Amino acid sequence: MNSSIGVGGMPAASWVSTTSLSASGKRIQREMVELNSDPPPDCSAGPKGDNLYSWVSTIIGPSGTPYEGGIFFLDIIFPSDYPFKPPKVIFKTRIYHCNVDSAGNVWLDILKDSWSPALTITKVLLAIRSMFTNPHTYSPIALDIAHMYLADRAKHDELAAEWTLRFAK
Amino acid sequence: MDNQTVNNVVDADAESEDISESFLCCICLDLLYKPIVLSCGHISCFWCVHKSMSIIYKSHCPICRHTYNHFPSICLMLHLLLSKINPIAYKRREKQILEEEKTMGSFSPQFDSHSCQPLLDHMGNSAQSFTIVNESTSEGGIHENNGTTIPVQSSGGTVAIMEKNSPKNKLNGNRKQIAVTDVLCSACKQLLIHPVALNCGHVYCETCIIKQTDEKIRCQICLCLNPKGCPKVCLELDRLLEEQFSKEYALRKDAIQPNKVQSNHESATTCSMEAGKLGFNASFLSTGEQLPMWADPRSKIYFGVGCDYCGMYPIIGDRYKCKDCMEAVGFDLCGDCYNTRSKLPGRFNQKHTQEHKLELVKPIVIHNVMRGLMTGQLEDGSSALILANDIFAPVSDDVQPQENTSNTDNIIEENESEPAS
Repeated sequence: MNSSIGVGGMPAASWVSTTSLSASGKRIQREMVELNSDPPPDCSAGPKGDNLYSWVSTIIGPSGTPYEGGIFFLDIIFPSDYPFKPPKVIFKTRIYHCNVDSAGNVWLDILKDSWSPALTITKVLLAIRSMFTNPHTYSPIALDIAHMYLADRAKHDELAAEWTLRFAK
Repeated sequence: MDNQTVNNVVDADAESEDISESFLCCICLDLLYKPIVLSCGHISCFWCVHKSMSIIYKSHCPICRHTYNHFPSICLMLHLLLSKINPIAYKRREKQILEEEKTMGSFSPQFDSHSCQPLLDHMGNSAQSFTIVNESTSEGGIHENNGTTIPVQSSGGTVAIMEKNSPKNKLNGNRKQIAVTDVLCSACKQLLIHPVALNCGHVYCETCIIKQTDEKIRCQICLCLNPKGCPKVCLELDRLLEEQFSKEYALRKDAIQPNKVQSNHESATTCSMEAGKLGFNASFLSTGEQLPMWADPRSKIYFGVGCDYCGMYPIIGDRYKCKDCMEAVGFDLCGDCYNTRSKLPGRFNQKHTQEHKLELVKPIVIHNVMRGLMTGQLEDGSSALILANDIFAPVSDDVQPQENTSNTDNIIEENESEPAS
């Protein structure tokens, strides 16, 4: 948290900013209020315990997809310099999806390079929810699943539904 | 600590001063404080903009991903406007940010609330677009400031209670405080219409700025060159003007209509949505338009160092560092600003004076190493950044985890593929 740590190694970096913990904390709190007052469909999220920076979230598999009816638990970890760095989102429920790796990490562009501090957890959850409906096969992390999706959609859906039944219900 | 923050948020809610949605900062989700208008017309707080800027390459607007390279100055007009529209919330923000700044150790420009008013008149003769509080960042100054804000806060609280009894009056009362004189164009001295804010923070009508421009736009007040094309209209401000001064606004609109037709073709500031979508590599690749300096083999880049006059961040080209400024944030100028010797104050309330000596700083990384890194990156998009991560470890760690993460994957893939072949 200390400002001098980040800058110390590089004397030239005089303009490098530091983020105070309270600023990120306030922003997370505001998001919490927003989320409670207007939650996105089929999603819920909130702090796990006392720690504001560690959230747990659930997404219900949207109907019309092989994930239908599954309840997927996700961990959301906010960095201390949130919202200038993206939150980390990890599936705790196993899922057969080409954008989720075996450790549960979500590989979405908006959680990596395309992150913008104007994005909120609500928007991230919506993006993940839409990922259920439309897997991003052009930038997959699980290549075999993406291949399956493109080559044999019926088989992919069958497997995904099987995983959903096994792990998410 | 946690309790305190909870209380703050609760306070903010209890305060329930009607903050217009359009004046919420998209980053801190609170009332804009010391607003900065980016060249795409989107507004954010001073610190929010600064913290969201990239220290090593082009920055992107958080909302539309429009690329920019200069940290704009605070829009003083909006600053005053907001403090009039939401006086209580603005005071709260002031206090909150000052506390954060104290823990951070660097400060945003401090405006003297009294001298802000006459500023519009005397701005013409000097480039000093805002007066800096004398005591500036010294400990004493802060305590003084605190001392004054606390009573104001408490009186603000009573005002809030009084106003709660008559909620209708509250809104009108606040809004009435804005006069047309608060929102005049810096050039035509009439009510702003389709306002655009330049890099220096001064606001003009779109038509006034287009008329005078052949190539580069120069602010008529502070004589600063606007770094990149014509900025886009600040729609939030435009909407407020139309709401508040509907009669005057309509009159101005009618008067401007014929001119507008002529200038329409010039106002094309290309929306760089595409550039933003293509992302990091793309903005590197299109060297011609995007980063002319990077194509120059002699170019030097000072990561994380910004020019305190024009706001270029990071500084590309020559860098002059003040030897006498003691603030942690330092005081630096880019080559152009050093040569023009303008007299603007520093971006972070540094106590820089004309007597201070500036020295040319040698780039830390020799230019051809830099060049190698850049070209390497252009070719395969991965290896250069791995190198860069090694060299700039302390910076890159807290700067670009997105590249880090994406590139570590490349490393893994490379490592795996090499022995296999």
